[in-house]
Amino acid sequence: MPLDPKDFLVEEYELPNGLQIRLLQDRSLPVATLYSFFRVGSRNERPGITGISHLFEHMMFNGSKKYGPKEFDRRLESAGGSSNAYTSNDVTAYYEDFASDALPVVLDLEADRMASLTIDDVSLGREREVVKEERRFRTDNDIDGMMEEAMGGLAFLAHPYRWPVIGWMTDIDAITRQDCERYFRTYYAPNNCILVLVGDFDRDNALARIQGLYSAIPRGEILPAVATGEPPQKGERRAIIRYPAQAPALLFGYRAPGGHEKDALVLDLIETALSSGEGARLKRALVYEQELCVEAHAGFGWRMDPGLFEISLKLNPGTDPGRAETTLLAELSSFCERELPEKELERAKNLLRAQLLRGLATTNGRAHSIGQMEVMLGSWRAMLDLPDRYTAITAAEVQRVARKIFASHLRNVVTLVPGEAEAGPA
Amino acid sequence: MNLPPLLIEKLPSGLRVVAIQKRGLPLFHARLSLPAGACEDPRGKAGLASFTTELLRRGTKRRPARDVDDMIESMGAQLYEGASMEEAALALTVPFELAARSLDALLEVALEPLFDEAEVASARRRTVAGLQSDLDEAASVAGRAVVTLGYGAGHPYAHPGAGFRRDVETFVREDALAFHATRFQQEGALLAVVGPAEPDELLALAQEKIAQWAPSWPAHSQRAPLSFSALEPRPGLRGVIVHKADSTQSQLRIVAPGLPRNTPRFADAVVANTALGGGFTSLLVDAIRVDRGLSYSVSTRLHMNRRAGLAVFSSFTKNGTLRELADVAFEKMRGYAATGPDEDALDKARRYLAGLFPLGLESHEALAEQVADSLLDGLGLSHLTSYRQSVLAVTSEGAREMAAALSPAKDGAQIVVVGDADNALRALEGLCPLEVRKLEEFG
Repeated sequence: MPLDPKDFLVEEYELPNGLQIRLLQDRSLPVATLYSFFRVGSRNERPGITGISHLFEHMMFNGSKKYGPKEFDRRLESAGGSSNAYTSNDVTAYYEDFASDALPVVLDLEADRMASLTIDDVSLGREREVVKEERRFRTDNDIDGMMEEAMGGLAFLAHPYRWPVIGWMTDIDAITRQDCERYFRTYYAPNNCILVLVGDFDRDNALARIQGLYSAIPRGEILPAVATGEPPQKGERRAIIRYPAQAPALLFGYRAPGGHEKDALVLDLIETALSSGEGARLKRALVYEQELCVEAHAGFGWRMDPGLFEISLKLNPGTDPGRAETTLLAELSSFCERELPEKELERAKNLLRAQLLRGLATTNGRAHSIGQMEVMLGSWRAMLDLPDRYTAITAAEVQRVARKIFASHLRNVVTLVPGEAEAGPA
Repeated sequence: MNLPPLLIEKLPSGLRVVAIQKRGLPLFHARLSLPAGACEDPRGKAGLASFTTELLRRGTKRRPARDVDDMIESMGAQLYEGASMEEAALALTVPFELAARSLDALLEVALEPLFDEAEVASARRRTVAGLQSDLDEAASVAGRAVVTLGYGAGHPYAHPGAGFRRDVETFVREDALAFHATRFQQEGALLAVVGPAEPDELLALAQEKIAQWAPSWPAHSQRAPLSFSALEPRPGLRGVIVHKADSTQSQLRIVAPGLPRNTPRFADAVVANTALGGGFTSLLVDAIRVDRGLSYSVSTRLHMNRRAGLAVFSSFTKNGTLRELADVAFEKMRGYAATGPDEDALDKARRYLAGLFPLGLESHEALAEQVADSLLDGLGLSHLTSYRQSVLAVTSEGAREMAAALSPAKDGAQIVVVGDADNALRALEGLCPLEVRKLEEFG
């Protein structure tokens, strides 16, 4: 069941300055979404300025030549829209959801900040403090965040995936305005951007407007190469965190291929079979049958370069982490030894296909999928036959990839051990 | 604004059926809402609605839990089951060709649970463990404390939906059986179906399935009505500090009584709140995040339940700036309560809400939920179709009145801090009477 291209008429354009444009009309509701995907994330950083991609995401809302400080969201909200953004290891994406008649304002705001972002010491100083608060919230005081951070440092020795997207606190403090200006000139050029517009708009009008606003922005310099070298892992690695938590937790990270590699789709299916839904292998075994965990979750996010297949176990209070680990490894071993039964394979495929479809139910979801396919797989068209590619995966392929990935020498384990809690006041 | 083509039918039992046509993706969504929310939790049994609803899929009279999972997930669906303050809901989305099968699965789970003794005991252990784990998340603890303290002891809304460990530990099979038997009737329930077919075809399918499952679905409820007294005004400002060891950041909430969802001033209220702390350019985001870099997240929210509501300020900051955050929040909120939004802020809030509203109706799931909630809350579909006009028509005077009435900082407000207690006591000294409570009290 491929997606019907007739229902997915994405139009493609490229401006002479390299800006890629993807348009998809849907006039069923008076709303639209605009995404600007920049091919830059924490993999483009270096020690000393870790976190600059994410800090820069914040700086993009602090004014440009035509629109002063605070004006971006003020204009947008006044026109019936809202904005947000995210930064990952590989990409920084900005989006606006808006009432369709706000399109001229939205395009003007986006083009102006790409053309002439204002970076000053005052706004940098304020955003630095906001980002530090975000780091305290998501990492320093959050168990999942602190375990993820430990996992990056454990699994990667040389690759930029080693440091957290939000950056080290000392680097966030040290990033200068000059660093930001250099970063902007290098990575926020039209030739490093994909613009995706989905929703209720007139195609000719929108395209003419984009051309008018973006064409004069000059192409950027050649992008620096990313230091992707990473020595092969030759043995299991472990880290321990002590923290006054209510219960222990375990995070396993297995070295896995990049999102564009063939086995990535098989890993999507393995992820689903292991942890999507209540009947998934890990949830059934560890949460319901053995009652060792509150949560058992497997995650494989597509990355540009080889990344990780992760399994996270939030243990029941008082549970021995060693016992939970032994049980998990036995489950993975069984997964590798025996081909996935037909019923489980079909279940996983059906869940994956349904998830794909549901992701396309909103303008934001469609725009994001188009951009993500462009960045990760080179073309939005990859989305059309993705359901068929999942359908074609065999139990033998699942077993082959599982055996390759779940090898003990490729395993990294972070264990959170509840430490002595400080005595509270009487 | 027009809704997609839809039909609504109320059966003699009191069950409402809503069939909504949504073209485009070949998906079918069904959502069953039942008047079995957390406000129905018996005294001393906080969390029973949520516990019962989550137990539904752990085995039916026709098949064990493992087979229930297979029945649902083999269709590519993930069953949502949960209880909000007002209702229990079960929902799933499948490819349209599986519509009839999915309705059978949904109704079997909702109407014929087994509540097997061993499954009840296992669910009890899981829930207790989950509640303890949640204590690691300061924001989650703050949310639980806000509801508990904001509504005040004895109020049907004054507990988090998942309940407390001390109550959940007492749950036995008979509790779940009794809750299900008295609250999962047709009367007051609503089944919404959304799909690409014509509304009359969807309605016919839903009615056919309801008729098939009627023998397992009593028409009327035997429950006693709940008693909702008005939130008691308590003058002055007071604070509760929930101690969480080793926190380098403090969660701050300021909560005061708000309004129920059926208030005739709904549009005035949401516009006034948006200008204060609802949007990204609101007064408080500007003052706290943009101008001072004190926090990553700042908001005010109106918790509007059917019979009562709360107005809540939420933010967090490093321990060293907790007092500054509280002072700025109070200064700005008190100022706003006195003046309301200026014309620019008012206009921005109106357009922001009106422009974004259709996005909340885009997906099958959101459409079904919005329509169901509007009907169950007694607001009618006009709440949705006239929403944009209503918020665009809010006047300066209307917003100003609501700014005063719904200020989280008004007289009688409570402060809730989750973080290091010694730090919070020092930081907030002199602001108001403070009481330190243990983390476990809210888990």
